[in-house]
Amino acid sequence: MANNSSDLVVETFKLTKIYQNRQIALNDVTLRLERGCVMGLLGSNGAGKTTFLRLLIGLHRPTAGWAKVFGKFMTPNAADLRRRIGYIPTNPQFPRGMTPITYLDYMARLFGLPREVRKPRLASLIRAVDLLRVSGDPIAGFSNGMTARLAIAASLINEPDLLVWDEPTHGLDPEARRSMLELIKTLAREKTLIVSSHNLSDIDEVCNHAAVLSHGQMIYCGALQDLKGRMRRNHYELDLEGDQKALAKAAQVIRALPEFRMVNLKQRRLELYLQDDAVNTAALANVFMTLNDNKVTLISIRSVGQQTEQAFLDLVEKEESRGFARIYQPEAA
Amino acid sequence: MDAVADKKPVAFNRWLPYWAVFQSDVRQTLRSWVYRFWVLLTVLAAVGYLLYNFGIYHEVGIVQSASLHISKLLYWIVVVSAVIICVLTAGSITAERGTMADSVLSRGISRHQYFLGKWHARLATVLGTFLLLGALILISAWFLLHEDLSWHGSLVALMTVAVLLGAVITCGVTVSAIANSTVLGIAVLWTILCAAGFLLQFLPARYLSPDRALQRLPFILQGHYDLNGLAEFAGWAILVSCITALIGLAYFSRRDV
Repeated sequence: MANNSSDLVVETFKLTKIYQNRQIALNDVTLRLERGCVMGLLGSNGAGKTTFLRLLIGLHRPTAGWAKVFGKFMTPNAADLRRRIGYIPTNPQFPRGMTPITYLDYMARLFGLPREVRKPRLASLIRAVDLLRVSGDPIAGFSNGMTARLAIAASLINEPDLLVWDEPTHGLDPEARRSMLELIKTLAREKTLIVSSHNLSDIDEVCNHAAVLSHGQMIYCGALQDLKGRMRRNHYELDLEGDQKALAKAAQVIRALPEFRMVNLKQRRLELYLQDDAVNTAALANVFMTLNDNKVTLISIRSVGQQTEQAFLDLVEKEESRGFARIYQPEAA
Repeated sequence: MDAVADKKPVAFNRWLPYWAVFQSDVRQTLRSWVYRFWVLLTVLAAVGYLLYNFGIYHEVGIVQSASLHISKLLYWIVVVSAVIICVLTAGSITAERGTMADSVLSRGISRHQYFLGKWHARLATVLGTFLLLGALILISAWFLLHEDLSWHGSLVALMTVAVLLGAVITCGVTVSAIANSTVLGIAVLWTILCAAGFLLQFLPARYLSPDRALQRLPFILQGHYDLNGLAEFAGWAILVSCITALIGLAYFSRRDV
C-alpha cells in the first residue's frame, strides 16, 4: 500500500507461523500498511487472523519471515514498540480480584506511565467508556458489554498510534456494537487501525482497506473499494409507488430489455437481475426511463446483498477453485 | 496552553512494568490458598511441636535441647515447604497463560522484565515469610525450651535453609516459564528436585550437600559450624539458582504465549 518504508506502520514479509510442526496457521503473508489506514482483517474461523495479530504484537514468534512495526522488527522483548500499540484480544480476560480502576492502573504501569500521567488518564477513560458508576466493583461480575468497554479503555491508556483490535464487536448487543463502530470511526481520524471481524458489515462501515485470509494465506490485500469492485453488481431491488396496472406494464417493458435475464414484480417491489455482460448504468438508465414513461415513482433502489460479504465470498470461492494452482500467488494479492 | 502541555512526550519509567508485575504477583501470592495453607500448616506444626516439648520440660522436668528440636522442626518445614513451594511456584507463569498474554505481555513490558518480576516476587514472598516464621520459632524456642541456641548460629541456620528454598523457588519459576501446564510443571519440578537430591548424596564427603547441611543444623544452631563450608554451600546454591533463572529467562523470552 505504501512504497516508502518510512511511511509504513506495519510491514510483514513472508510471515509464516507453524505451530509445533503440526498446524500451519499462517503462510507467507506479505503486507504493507501505511499511516492512517483502517484495515479490516477478514477470514473465516481458523483462517489465521488472530495468529497474524499476535505475531504483529510479539506474543508469538514467526516460524519464518518477519514483522516490522513502526519500521522496527517486532520481537517478544520489543517493549518500546508495544508502548505505541493498543491491543484488544477476541475475548478479553482480566486478572481476578481487580476493579476497573486497579486494572487500568496496572495496565498503565505496564506501559511505564508515571503516576502524574496515568492517574488522570485512567479517570478520563473510565468516564469516557461509561464505567464511572462501577469503577470500584470487581470486574468478575461485569457483562460482555462492560468488559468490552474496559478492554477499549485499556487499549487506549497509552494513547497508541496503532490499534490492533481482534473482533471488537464480538458478543456485543446492537447498541454497544453501534457505539464501538462510532468509536472506531472517531479513532480512525488520527490513528492507524487493524480490525479483525467476522461481521463483514462492520468492516464495510469502518474500514478503508481490507486483507482477506484463507487457510492462513492472504488472498487479497488492498483498498476495500477495490475488493467491492470485484463483485458483479447484477441484482437490484426497487421499491416503487404508482398504479398497479402501470407497475405491471412497466415491468413487462423492462422484461423485454436485453440487459436483464430476470425481472420479478412482487407487490410494489421490482427485482432486477442483470445479464453478466450488461453495463449496469445503461441498464438502469433504461429502467428509469421506462418507469418515468409509465408515471411510476421510485421510492428507493439498492444493490442486493452485502457488497463486502459478497466480494469476500467470491474471493474465497475463487481461491478454492484454483486447486493446485494455489501454489502460485493469486493475481489479486 | 493546556493542549500544548498534553502533547509533551511522556517520560516512560522503564522499570515501572517490572515493579508492577512484582507488586501484582506479591499480592496474588499472598491471596492464594496454597500460600495461606502453607503458612497455616507451618504455624500450627511449630506451635504444636514447641508446646509439646515445653510441656515435657515444664511438667516432667526433662531438659529439652532447643537446637535439637528446632533443627528437627526446620528440617520438616523444609521438606513440607518444598512440596508446597513446588505447587506455589510451578504455576506462577503457566497458570496465567490466557490472561497473561492478553492483559500483560501485549503491553509495554519485555519478557525479561516479566520473568524477573515474577521470580523476584516469589522469592521475596516465600523467603520473607519463611524468615519471619523461622525468626518467630527461634524466639519462641529461646523462651520455651532450654536455651542452647546461639544468635549468630540461628541466623546462619536460617540463611542456610533460605538459600536452599531459594533454589527450589527459582527452579519452580523456571519450570513454570517452560512448561505448558501447571500440573506438568509440578510433576517435572518434583522429578528434578528428587533426582537432584538423590544425585547430590553421592558428592564427596568434603562437600556439603543439601541433606548434609540439614543434618548439621543442630550444631549450626548451637554456633558450631564451618563458615567457609557453609558459605561455599550457599554460593553454589545461589549460582545454581542464577543459572536456572537464566535458562528460564532465555527460554521464556523466545517462546509463544
